[in-house]
Parts: sequence; structure tokens; C-alpha cells
Amino acid sequence: MLSTVPLNTSRRRVFGSVFSPASLEARPPLASSFDYDQAALASFQSTASFATLKDSQTGSLYTAPSQEVSDTSLDRETWDHAWAAATAFLSIPDFGFAPIFEARGTDGSETLKEWNRLTPPSKETADALTYLTAAAHYSDSSRDGTGSRDLFSWYGEEIRRHFLTNLRGGLYEVLHGSEKGGLLRTIVDCLQLAFRIYLAPIRHYLLPLVSASDQGRIFTQLQRGFHTVVSYSLPWLQISPLLAQELAQDALIILGIDTLIEESNEDEDEDQDEMEMDREYSVSYCDWKQANAETRARIMTEHENNEVIMARDRLLAFLNGLQLVGLGGDKAQKVFASVMNIMMTEFIRAAYTGEWETPTSVLPHLRHWVENVFARLAVQVLNIIHTQPSNQPPGTLDVSFADVEKWQEIAVSRLGALRTSELFEVIVEWPASTGAIEDLKHFTTHPSARAYVTQTFITILNQRLLHPGASTVEILQLYISIIRAFHLLDPKGVLLDRIARPIRRYLRDREDTVKVIVSGLLAEPPTGDASGLPSSHDILVELSTELSKAHQLSLQSNTSELDWDDANWMPDPIDAASDYRKSKSADVIDSLISLFDSKETFVKELQTLLAGRLLQKRDNFDQEISVLELLKVRFGDAALQACQVMLRDISDSRRVDHSIRHDQGLSKPPSRPHPKRPTPRPNHPDLHAKILSRFFWPEIQDQEFNVPEEISSLQTRYAEGFESLKQSRKLTWRNGLGQVTVELELGDRSFSDEVTTWQATIIHAFNSGSAESEEPVSKSVSDLSSELQMTSVLVRSACLFWVSKRILIETTRDTFRVLEYLPTDEEVAEDPTNTVGDGGMAGDAGDAAAAAEAAAAAAAKETAEAAAMEKMNLYWQFILGMLTNQGAMNLQKIVMMLKIVVPGGFPFSNEELREFLAGMVTKGKLEIISGGSYKLVH
Amino acid sequence: MDYTMEDTQNSAPDAIEATKLNTSGQRTETQSVTKRLQAELMQLMLSPSPGISAFPDADGNLLSWTATITGPTETPYENLNLKLSFSFPNSYPYSAPTVLFKTPIYHPNVDFSGRICLDILKDKWSAVYNVQTVLLSLQSLLGEPNNASPLNAQAAELWDNNQEEFKRQVLARHRDLDDE
Repeated sequence: MLSTVPLNTSRRRVFGSVFSPASLEARPPLASSFDYDQAALASFQSTASFATLKDSQTGSLYTAPSQEVSDTSLDRETWDHAWAAATAFLSIPDFGFAPIFEARGTDGSETLKEWNRLTPPSKETADALTYLTAAAHYSDSSRDGTGSRDLFSWYGEEIRRHFLTNLRGGLYEVLHGSEKGGLLRTIVDCLQLAFRIYLAPIRHYLLPLVSASDQGRIFTQLQRGFHTVVSYSLPWLQISPLLAQELAQDALIILGIDTLIEESNEDEDEDQDEMEMDREYSVSYCDWKQANAETRARIMTEHENNEVIMARDRLLAFLNGLQLVGLGGDKAQKVFASVMNIMMTEFIRAAYTGEWETPTSVLPHLRHWVENVFARLAVQVLNIIHTQPSNQPPGTLDVSFADVEKWQEIAVSRLGALRTSELFEVIVEWPASTGAIEDLKHFTTHPSARAYVTQTFITILNQRLLHPGASTVEILQLYISIIRAFHLLDPKGVLLDRIARPIRRYLRDREDTVKVIVSGLLAEPPTGDASGLPSSHDILVELSTELSKAHQLSLQSNTSELDWDDANWMPDPIDAASDYRKSKSADVIDSLISLFDSKETFVKELQTLLAGRLLQKRDNFDQEISVLELLKVRFGDAALQACQVMLRDISDSRRVDHSIRHDQGLSKPPSRPHPKRPTPRPNHPDLHAKILSRFFWPEIQDQEFNVPEEISSLQTRYAEGFESLKQSRKLTWRNGLGQVTVELELGDRSFSDEVTTWQATIIHAFNSGSAESEEPVSKSVSDLSSELQMTSVLVRSACLFWVSKRILIETTRDTFRVLEYLPTDEEVAEDPTNTVGDGGMAGDAGDAAAAAEAAAAAAAKETAEAAAMEKMNLYWQFILGMLTNQGAMNLQKIVMMLKIVVPGGFPFSNEELREFLAGMVTKGKLEIISGGSYKLVH
Repeated sequence: MDYTMEDTQNSAPDAIEATKLNTSGQRTETQSVTKRLQAELMQLMLSPSPGISAFPDADGNLLSWTATITGPTETPYENLNLKLSFSFPNSYPYSAPTVLFKTPIYHPNVDFSGRICLDILKDKWSAVYNVQTVLLSLQSLLGEPNNASPLNAQAAELWDNNQEEFKRQVLARHRDLDDE
């Protein structure tokens, strides 16, 4: 079955024609160098095993020759002998995985020797190899070359067999071992070594025997076989994260990201040496910016430091190995792409976070980096882990310039994303962060990018700004910055328009918005002295400067839309709504004032604030006048008429005051220009008045009380003078308003200060006992209250004020005494009576001041509460009308109606109203009927 | 046919334009009416007159109010609660509000559907009148009907001839709306 004689003879003839007959004819038909039986046995075994291994191959092996019985005359036996020798030589010893794992670090020559891979074949083996390849060559030329391929495919099978039996288990263990660092490197090293072991004999002894054209083909074939078995044994799902890790590790260094991160950490530990070392090669934005243009171009292409070069070499060598063992190619490219994607984001984050200076050169720096560092690495790596080496002529880059440009665009949008996420901080830092906005400008060229910016920013705003924790001043401050920043970002104001909406909506809901804006407008410019004003911390001083500045600006550029010669004209952005009209959005004041539907709210607040300021004793009101003039430009004269009248009242009063005092003989030169209240020179108080036209002034909360007699007589005379000057007009004195300059002569000291009228009245009451009597005057709060017709809260507040000035002391609760002589410290300590009352406050001026403040606040609160109660009475009328005419209603409905019908809105919460209504139910004016509705009791 | 089509097409923008103008005009008008009514309400609340009261309807529309008059003493309507509805036109206060009695009332100058014959609500209306003055006039009308031009002739006759019967009729017709 195995051999037929005619076949053998014909084969031998061919065999003889190729090899010198001497070498073969001289020995027995079967290999003579070793024992015949053994060899025959070995040959039989190996072919048999081969036959079982691969049926199709054996089939072709044995059927093919039989088909060509007629035209081939190869000796079957010779071929069998040659086959046996060759396979014996080529077969790989089953040493297992351990030796390869041990030797992975070496250059492999030792192992190759150990594994008997470098031993040159013996003469017979060499002959056998030559014979087999030649046979292959022969049949190749005659037919299809199955013979030679047989040997190589057998070897391919052998590799596979060996790999699966010896290496696969080991690799599997390594892959699932606990040690993760550099795991892939180990694996690749092992595989590389295995690959060399497998292919060494082929390369050294077999390939030279075949023609050059076949060499490449055969080698590729074997390589592919190896790659297949490797990728079969090592599931890619497990390899790819490892590969990504390896790539990321080196890419971090090569792309310079690690130094950036270090640098940002270095701020703490100031590692000077390393800084110097790094100076040569750095991708740091700061360094780059400081360099001049020429250095800039070179800085990233040259002067790589050692670490980078090492990392680069290491990575490229690793990738070479990876490609060699078949783990490169398409899949590795994908992993590489995703790693580079992360790297780019990482770099941008590390390099540019917080770099907001203007003028910015972030963008050229980024493009430069992408081109010279990022793309360079990409080119180098992709050159190694290519997919089809033979497809392209050598020297063609896998990366085109279009790709690089695309990467640059991607990088720019990444930068945009970074800046967008930083936008809130950028705005907070404004105007120190102009550069960041300039960067962002390059990003917001596309409608979707613009939408991204606005949406992200609005979300951030809602989270960080528009909540009760932020004060109105802060919000307004930020809004101003936003207006300015977005004006720079998008001069057409479309983005600002979108951003501003939620802010404006929120500000409208805040009660104190108007107040803050108006007080900001009226605030002294920062250069002026801020005495008597609250610190600029809670006032938007900026607004007053802005007001005058914006006015000048509006004069300059009023005709922007119809300016045909405007060389800087730009069309409206693509995402502008069709009816979008550019507002003067850069105008901060305008944006703030337009927050409110009507000017009325604004004007009303302005009036109240203005009233407070005008009633202060000051020499001039230039600031108020100028602010008012500027506001008139915006609002028109009519809206601000009341304010105008108020200002005129003040300036008129000065003249009127002068002439009345002159007429009535009240003036005594040299008197100060116009304090409203007397300066109590002994027995000659001095009275000045401000005459207000009641109709134009906002309601002023007033405390009614009797002024001292000296003053009231002066008031009468003054009023007479006024009535003679202005017929048919009358003066009504508002005793609660005004300032008094008080000078007090005490036993051991004198005191002089400006105080309020009621404080002055109180201290004047203590004066009445005359200065000569030895015993200091002592009065109780209730006495004073009835004597002066002043509310006791106010009396107490005024007394505590004087206590804080150490003029009075509280002897027992609610009883005060003049402190003619200051006690020495010992006396205070010894005298327990001083500390009666409110827990020692009389002794300590600081505490007393605090107490006085608290009392003043209490007095103010009482006034406010009275006002609120009065208001509630008004609302009661509304509720009464509502329930009379509309029948029973529940709380929600009442609140809703009140909100609609009460001018200026209903300021109380549902709870407060419920309480109030409950009070009315108790009083029997209301009843609650089914369903919780309130009904009037008839 | 075609021509008419063309016509409507051509005229359409104009029409839209016109409605636009109208609506904007209307809006400002409505605003001024609202303002005026708000002021009137405020005045009513600040200085309530005894026996009369008025308030906008609960639908939040300031243009329709409900008012209540308590019948004046020493009239047949003594202590009766009479409800009225006010409906203000957009041209208020330059034209009179429409005022109707909601409560069924037996009165010479009021018909059975509540319509009132009062000169100041018709040709004698003037912009200086307001809700309060109208209500006060109606209050006095209860005590002194104008029998010269009655809407309800029977009532006028009874008023003149048989006060007892008149009062009986008033009470028979009266029905309190509050309980609804």
C-alpha cells in the first residue's frame, strides 16, 4: 500500500538527476547514518502521526504522486527517508513554557542553542532538506508545488502544535497572574523569543534553498500561521487594556504630559534642579510663551531630553515586537487611537488649565504641539503597527497632512471644551482672564459649539450662582462680568442673550435687586472718600463708574447699524433668531435697568435712596446731581421728574433757609451752611431746615415726638418766616429726620458729635435739670416716654446710644443717669451698681455700643412692623372686598387674587397670610367653612 | 374666481399688518384701562364707603368686577345684599361700564333680567365717574327710584301707591346669592 515499485524507480531517476549520484547511490536506500530499523520506524511514526494530524494534507501528499504516476519517476523511498530526516531535524523539542519565560530578557542566542535551533543540519539532513525543497521546486515548476509546501506547512503545523502544547498554558497563567505592570511586555518578549526559536532553522537552513520569490511568500505564510495561533491563544479583550496601559505610560512621557503634571505639583516643593534640566526640552505653555518666535519653532522639535528619547525608543521597540508577534496591526491601531485621544485631552487639560492671561498664544502653541509632538509620535507608531506592509511603497507615511490638520481641529475643540468647563472661574476672575475668552472665541465658530457653550454655562450658573447662597451683589457683579466677557466672545450678543435669560429671570425674582443696583449707581466713585457709606464690599461701586463711562461710549457709537463705511461690519451669527436685533448689550447699565418691566420700580427705589441721601447733612450733592443727569439721558426727563424736584427742593431750601433766617433774625454769622438742627451753643440753638415738597418725596418713616422747647419756638418762628416768604404754603415739621450737632459739657470732659434728632432730644431731657446741681440727673424710660411723647423703644434705644458714648449709665433697669465723672477702672470693678441692668453693659463701652445698635435696630424694627401692620390693614380691606363680592375663598385663591390686584405685589407668604386670617377668625370676623375656605361673618 | 383668490392673497399681508397694529394698540389701551381700574380699586380699599363694596372677579381679569350694595336703611331694601356685575369696555373710562343686578331685585328702574335704567350709565356717562360713584348712585336709586322712566311699570305704580305691597314684592323677589 505504501510503495509501488514503478513509482519508486521513476522517482529515483529524478532524484538522481538533481543530486550527485555519488552521495546517495553510495549508501543504502535508506539513511545509512543511523540504524535502519530505527530510522524506518521513526519515519513511519512521523508520517503516520502527520497523517492523523491533518487528513487533507496527507491526502494530497499521497494522492498527488499517485496521479502523476506516468510522468514522475521520483523514488518514493528516498523521499520518505528525506522527509523523516528533515522533520526530525525541524521538530521543536517540547521543553514547555518555563525556559522561554526565563530567557525572555536575553538576546535569545543561548536559548536557541539550548533548543537545538542553531545547530547546522548534518550532511544527510541538509541533503534531505535540499531534496525536499528541490522536489517541491520541481513539482512547482511542473504543477503546483505541493511537495515543498508540504514541508513548510508541516512546519507550520509543528509550530502550532508546539505552541498550543507548550506555550499557551504558560501564557495564560502569565496573563492571569497577579503582576500587572509590564505584563504585556513580558508576554511580547516571550512570544518574540518563541517566534525566533520557531523560525531560526527555517531562516537559516531552509529558505536559502528556495528561490527568492518563494522565500517571502513562505516566510509570510509561517508568520501568519504563528500570528493566528497567538491571537487565538491570547484573547484580544484581555490584551487591549494592557496595550492601552503600555501605550499610555510611554505616550505620557513622550508627549510631555508628565512634566506638565509634575510642574503643576512642583509649586509646592520647588525642585529647582529638575526644572533646570527640563528647560532644554519642554512642552510647557509657560516656557513656550516666554520664548521668542525663533525658539518657539524649534523648542518642541529639537532638544528632546533623555527621558523622552528613552521612552520613545522603549515604546517603539516594544511596538516592533508587538507587530512581530502578530499583536499589532489593525487592532493595535485602534487601541493606539483611543490612547492618543485620551492623551490629547489630558495634555490640553494639563497644559492650559488656568492659563488665562492675555494676549493668549495657547492656540498656536497647541497647533504646534499637535504638529510636532503629537503627530510625530503618531507617525512613528503607525509606521510600525501598520496593517499591510506590502501595500504601500516604503517611505509613504500613514499620516497625511490633512490628518494632522484634522487633529489640530480636534485639539482646538478639546480646548474649547476645557475653556467652557472653566468658564465660570474665568468669569469670576474677569478681567484678568481675558485670554481664556480669546481661546474660546476660536471654538465658538460652529452653531453646535455655540449651543454647547451656552448650555454648559447655563447649567453651571444654575448650580453655582443662581441659588439663595449667593448674594445679590455677587450675582450682579458676575452678571456684569458675563456681559463684558461675552461681549468680547461674541460682539453680536447672541450668546449673551441666551446666557442672560436665566440670570435675568432669577434677578427679577430677587427682592433686593433694585436696591443693590440703585445704591450701586449712587455710590461714590472709588476715588472719592467713602466715609459714612457702607464699605464697597456690599455695594456695586462699579456701576457708578460704569454709568459715566457708558454714557461717553453711547455718544461715540450710536449709529452702528447704518454705518455703511464700517469696515469691521460682520453679519449676524448664523444662530441668531430672524427677529434678533442687537441690543446695546455691552452697556451694563442698560442691561441691568432693563431687568424690570417698567422703569417705575427702578425710579421708585431711586427716589427712596435719593431721599435718604439728600436728607444727610452735606455741603453739596454733586454726585447725586451728576448721576441723575446721566440717568435722565436713559430714562427721559419725565420719569425722573420726582427726583428732579427732590434735588431742586434741596438746593432751593438752601436759599430759602438763608433768607428766612435773615428775615427772622435767626442767623448769626458765622454759622455753618445748613445743618437742619440746632448747634446747641449755650441757650442759642441754631436751626436750619430743608423744605421738601411732600408730594414728590417718597414716604418717609417718621417717629413723632416733642422736640425741646427751644427748638419748637425756633420752629414756630421759622415757619412764620416761611409763610411770609411763600404765601399759601405751610411747613409741617418732621421731627424724626435730621441731624443735630450736640456739644455736651460734663463734669470732667466735654463731648461733641453729630447725632439724630431723637438722640439729641433725649440727652437734652437729661440736661433740663440744669448743670449747677450736684446730683446728676436720673430718669426712667417711661418718664421720658410720656414727657417727650416718644415710644419707649425709641427712648430706650437713644439712652443706650448715650450709654455707649459713656454719657449715661443705666443704674437700674430702664433708669438712666448722667455720668458726670468717668469712673476709673478700679471704681468700675468695685462698684457693682454700675453693672446692674443688662448684665454689665454699662461698664463696657464696646458692649454698650452693641446694645445701642441692637436697640436702634429694635426701634427701627418696631417702626417697620407698624408699617407692615398698617399695610396688612390695607390688605384686609382687599380681602374684605374680595370675600364680600366673590363669596367664600380658600387661601390659595386669596393669595392669587392679592397678587393680581395689589399694586406692587403681595409681600407676605402664604403662611403669614394664614396666620393673619386665623387671627381674623379668632376675632370673629371670618369663619372657615367646608373645604378650608374663608367666609365673612355677617 | 381666480381674481378673488388673487385678491385675498394680495390683501392678506395688509390684513395681518392691520391686525398687528390693532392688537398692539389694543394692548396699550387695555394696559391703561387696567391701570385705571387698579387705581380705582386701591381707592375703594383705602377709603371704603359704608354699604358698598366691589372687587375684581376671581378669574384675574380686571375688566370684570362684582359689586355688593347693602340696602340702605329706611328703604324697602334695608339689610338686603344686592350683587351687581361690572363689565368694563376697553375704552373705559371714556365709555360707561355695563352694570347689571345679579341679585333678583324688584325695583321700578330695574327690569327682571337686572338691566338698570340710570342716566349716568347711559348718555350722561363721564370719565370722572368711577366704580365708587356709580355704586353710590345706585345705592341712592334704591331709596329714590326715578318713576318718570320706569322699566318696571308695576313697581313704579306700587311704589307710588302701595308701599306695603311694594316691600312685600321686594322681599318676595329677593334671593340671596351668597349661598350659591
